[in-house]
Amino acid sequence: MPPYVGSGWAAVHHTHNLDPLLLAVWLLPLAGALALWAFGPQLRRGAGVLGTAVVFVCFALTLFDVRGAFGSPASGVGIGNAVPLVSWLPGFDFGLLWDPLALLWTLVITGVGGLIHLYSIGYMAGDKAQARFFAYLNFFVFAMLTLVLSDNFVGLLVGWGLVGLASYFLIGFWFYKPSAVAAARKAFVINVAGDVGLMFAIFVMFAATGSTTYADVFSHAGTLPQGVILTICIALFIACAAKSAQLPLHTWLPDAMEGPTPVSALIHAATMVTAGVYLIARCAPLWDASPDARALVGTIGALTALTGALLAIAQWDIKRILAYSTMSQIGYMIMGVGVGAYQAGILHFYAHAFFKALLFLGAGLVIHELGDEQDVRKMGGLRTRTPIAFIAMAIGTLAIIGFPGFSGFYSKDAVIYGVLERGYPALYAIAVITAGITGYYMFRMIFVTFYGRYRGDVPDAELGLAGRPPASAHGHHGAPRWLMEAPVIVLMVPSVIAGYVSIGGAGSLWMRYFKADFASQPLPAPPPPFSELASTLLVFAIVAAGVAVAYLRYGTAAAKEGAVARLRTEAARIPQPFVRAFYFDDLIDAVAVRPARALGNAFSRFVDPHVIDAGVTDVARIAGRLGRELRGIQTGLVRAYAFVVVGGAVVFIAYFALLRLPR
Amino acid sequence: MIWTLALAPMLLGLLLYAWPRSADAAAKWFGVAVAGCAFVVTLLSANAPDESVRWLQRPFTANFHAGLGGLSYWLVLLLTLTTACALASTRISRQRDFVAQMLVLMGAMTGLFVARDLLVFALFWDLMLIPVFLILVAWTPSKSSASAWRYLIYNLTGGLALLLATAAYGMLEGSTDVLGATLGRGATAIGPAWGEWIFAGFAFAFLVKTPVWPFHTWMPSAYADLPPAAAAVVSAVQSKGGLYGFLVVTAPLMPEQMRAALPLMFVLGLVGLVYGAVVALVQDDAKRVVAYSSLSHLGLILIAIFSGNPLALSGAVVYVLAHGLFSAGLFIVLGQVEQREETRSIARLGGLGARNPRLAGSLTIVALAALGLPGLCGFAGEILILTGLYQTGAVWVAGIALVPIIVAAAYMLRLFQGIMQGPEVEDLPERADASFLELLAIAPLVLAIVLLGVNPGPVLAARSLAPAQLSAVEVQR
Amino acid sequence: MTSLPVDISNYVGLSAVIFFIGVAGVLTRRNPLIVLMSIELMFNAANLALIAFSRFWQNNAGHIFAFLVITVAAAEAAIGLAIVVVAFRRAKNVDVDEVAGLHG
Repeated sequence: MPPYVGSGWAAVHHTHNLDPLLLAVWLLPLAGALALWAFGPQLRRGAGVLGTAVVFVCFALTLFDVRGAFGSPASGVGIGNAVPLVSWLPGFDFGLLWDPLALLWTLVITGVGGLIHLYSIGYMAGDKAQARFFAYLNFFVFAMLTLVLSDNFVGLLVGWGLVGLASYFLIGFWFYKPSAVAAARKAFVINVAGDVGLMFAIFVMFAATGSTTYADVFSHAGTLPQGVILTICIALFIACAAKSAQLPLHTWLPDAMEGPTPVSALIHAATMVTAGVYLIARCAPLWDASPDARALVGTIGALTALTGALLAIAQWDIKRILAYSTMSQIGYMIMGVGVGAYQAGILHFYAHAFFKALLFLGAGLVIHELGDEQDVRKMGGLRTRTPIAFIAMAIGTLAIIGFPGFSGFYSKDAVIYGVLERGYPALYAIAVITAGITGYYMFRMIFVTFYGRYRGDVPDAELGLAGRPPASAHGHHGAPRWLMEAPVIVLMVPSVIAGYVSIGGAGSLWMRYFKADFASQPLPAPPPPFSELASTLLVFAIVAAGVAVAYLRYGTAAAKEGAVARLRTEAARIPQPFVRAFYFDDLIDAVAVRPARALGNAFSRFVDPHVIDAGVTDVARIAGRLGRELRGIQTGLVRAYAFVVVGGAVVFIAYFALLRLPR
Repeated sequence: MIWTLALAPMLLGLLLYAWPRSADAAAKWFGVAVAGCAFVVTLLSANAPDESVRWLQRPFTANFHAGLGGLSYWLVLLLTLTTACALASTRISRQRDFVAQMLVLMGAMTGLFVARDLLVFALFWDLMLIPVFLILVAWTPSKSSASAWRYLIYNLTGGLALLLATAAYGMLEGSTDVLGATLGRGATAIGPAWGEWIFAGFAFAFLVKTPVWPFHTWMPSAYADLPPAAAAVVSAVQSKGGLYGFLVVTAPLMPEQMRAALPLMFVLGLVGLVYGAVVALVQDDAKRVVAYSSLSHLGLILIAIFSGNPLALSGAVVYVLAHGLFSAGLFIVLGQVEQREETRSIARLGGLGARNPRLAGSLTIVALAALGLPGLCGFAGEILILTGLYQTGAVWVAGIALVPIIVAAAYMLRLFQGIMQGPEVEDLPERADASFLELLAIAPLVLAIVLLGVNPGPVLAARSLAPAQLSAVEVQR
Repeated sequence: MTSLPVDISNYVGLSAVIFFIGVAGVLTRRNPLIVLMSIELMFNAANLALIAFSRFWQNNAGHIFAFLVITVAAAEAAIGLAIVVVAFRRAKNVDVDEVAGLHG
């Protein structure tokens, strides 16, 4: 079969030399996790330092190994290095793949991950189990690297499952809180549903191509029947939807905010939840070959972006606002890579990793300062009290709404226009509207949190907050403040400049970086009705409108004055569908959870004892009754027994003597 | 040497009754030493030649023929490993007698797995029921010995069917020494009329032993009433007797009948797969959760064996071992929990992880292996089986079998979180965390779980499943 | 005087007579000692038949069986007497009908 033309897959350079740097990058975090897990209690405060050092070392090693991702200099051809590791059976061979896509993700995972580790030293200081925390974080880095470095789908699935596990551990880190336990379980089970989708995709591709490695599968992409490719794409997308919080499997992400804030920043914003974007970008040859899959994934991405933005409007918990905004932004990324604007979608991942981590870490500073208060109604006026947090979140907000000059401006506009360019005007409209809503809810958060008067001392009842469980402080003391502020300040820089790599259109650094990965596809015949500049201006106008509405509602002097009463009445007036998050939880409950439990109860209380066992116990009962009836024969009189024996013998002999024997 | 592996533990077990009562605690370490030695000896006899002693000439040939090749090797390794770990972690009244019975059990099961003669196979099949029955009667926590009788009657009925089928096979074929190297030779000789009955006899015994839905109702009560160490060995290894039987007895000897039974077995396996999973979701007794999860997992292996697909069969072999490892681990850890808190009720337990991080760590790993976490042994088996099933064209079977994987995540997390997480329960006894020895008892299982999960290659090597066996059950669609 | 021909049927007839005397004894007598003696009679009747047939067929297997029966009979007598002694000690009575502890 001819290799799929137009992608770099034919050119992956297979080497049989283990790349020691790559192996070190991959395995160091695992070693760190094991060491922290085994010797955590002895390490005390050193645990955080060790965990952080491991990730930064990985980052440095990655920088040393950048060249490897672009091909072996000796061979001079192709991109990427494939490093074989183990083989179970023919078709189940595992190895690592080091190419530009993997390199980009590895840099973000170890770079942003290292900064968040550093931040965690401060954030988690005083928590008794901090060694365990850093062990989980290191384990997460290992799992995420497994996911992005694997050269085949089964290895990807291993990473896919392990990041889910790390996420489970970290959401449920404070496992004495029942809400954290429930959130962790929900996240894990929904993610297993995603894993199952990926498994199904593996079945289909193995049956069709006899292999699970990317190179083998993608080289068949051009020749497989449409139905098969669509099936694979849908199955893969189920995995993406679960991991990247796409409709309707997104419900775990807001609950996942039960985890410590650095976890939310690293796993549930910057890296893990973007695994779906990675998967679709990785499987570009499959999506390129299936227009239906493109339309489907693009649509779901757009709807997710819209839904996340709408739900973010109605949130009061600062982390839940950010969680829904994450969901919305991933919707953008998925929409971008889904419709084939891979470079744009990945750019948005890249920029989002910085500014969303910045937003979460900023929120963490606020939460930390206020002793684990997360409700924005209890905040207000924090501009002066936590200036670094304010600056960080302001930069993050400008980036996420796409303010010109900030990173989000370049990436989001590229996604939005890319959708239009590829002939999806409806999705374009949704994306533009969502951008406006994003401007609104982000500035709502900024105004309510940082402007006006501090409301932390206002009684709960006046804010309409009565009856909520008390916030449980996880104990912070000891760590110097700069430990947490330094990573935040560092992250501000890329949050602004990350988008500059794409300046210059087709000849930009960004486009050249992915030259070999994504085939340049011909755009549909009718060009978009207006230019990219016009689109940018349109988006900017809509975003400005959203921001203006937020200002009028929360930012004016009058609004700041009567904030307490306003927030109380507003909270009471939020429409029910928004409070119940559009009933997705109820839907999953009604469709899956309750039927499964009802079935289980029916089986164990009725079928097992009364149907299956009925036959068995009947046999036992009949045997028992027979025994009771027949025991009367046993008189205990030995002579009577003897008489029966003799009588039996006589009958027996008579039978044979008289009837059976031939005369 | 191979027969010594089977007979020596039984003999030592019986001799243990001469052990002084005053040294009850030390008896356990004697048992661990015996099982450990058996493990090491097995490990070193990977290439041991078959052994045979003549037994019957009439009415058919039967020999005490033993071999340690293929799957037998791995199962005996699993058996001795789990027995050693289970005994090391055990703490029980009348320890000496318990260890003695466990050693007899280990010997009898070794005999079963090394037997290359059907009649010997049937002999050890019944023999291995006795120690379990005695343990159930003597150490049951409930007042009645109902679970013991239920266990015995179910399995003896199966054993009777096995014996009759074996006898019929011997009379028709002239020899029962057929499980060795010359595989598949008698397959064509059995006429269709007898073949079905003989197959039915074998299949009934194997289905009851595994157990497969709807023959499973002896299992939850037996596993719940067995002491943890015994439950570990029985669920990990004894239940594999049935699947092993399908793999080495019926698959090579009567492929025609295997093929004919395929639809029925697919249905039974699928029903058990779903049934066990949803019932495990609502059980309160932690051990019953594991018992019903076994029903679910073993149903999948049954499907894999009957599918005849080489990939699925490879997966079945991996999953047989994987299930042995993690179910033994689960029962051992749950035993350690029960020993501390004197209850197994998930509703009553909670928050143990805060004070017992090491215990929680042990339970985490075995539970994760059980729910099929990618990278651990359960996953390796599942993905091979399901990929193979899909490949044979059993698309819907593979699709439906995916659902219980999600349910498995739910019930295993419910088990783990219900015991280890949430707020601490006030009125539970406070006990020390797992000791170093308790960790040591679980460590080999954990190691094996990880190794098998990362690379099941050695198990899948040609030696494990003779190619003849694979081709004999190949089902063309 | 002509000697009566003693053929196989005479032996078998005698054996049958002795056997049924034994049977009658077992069925009618209540003294365990007599019952045991009657059982011995039955054994010996069987022995007689065995020997007679053995000679008739010129086959020594019958002799061997007879020895076996004698051995069994000795063992049976020993055990039987032991049971009688135990029963007598427990019940101060040697009536077989009184020893009915095994009734259902």
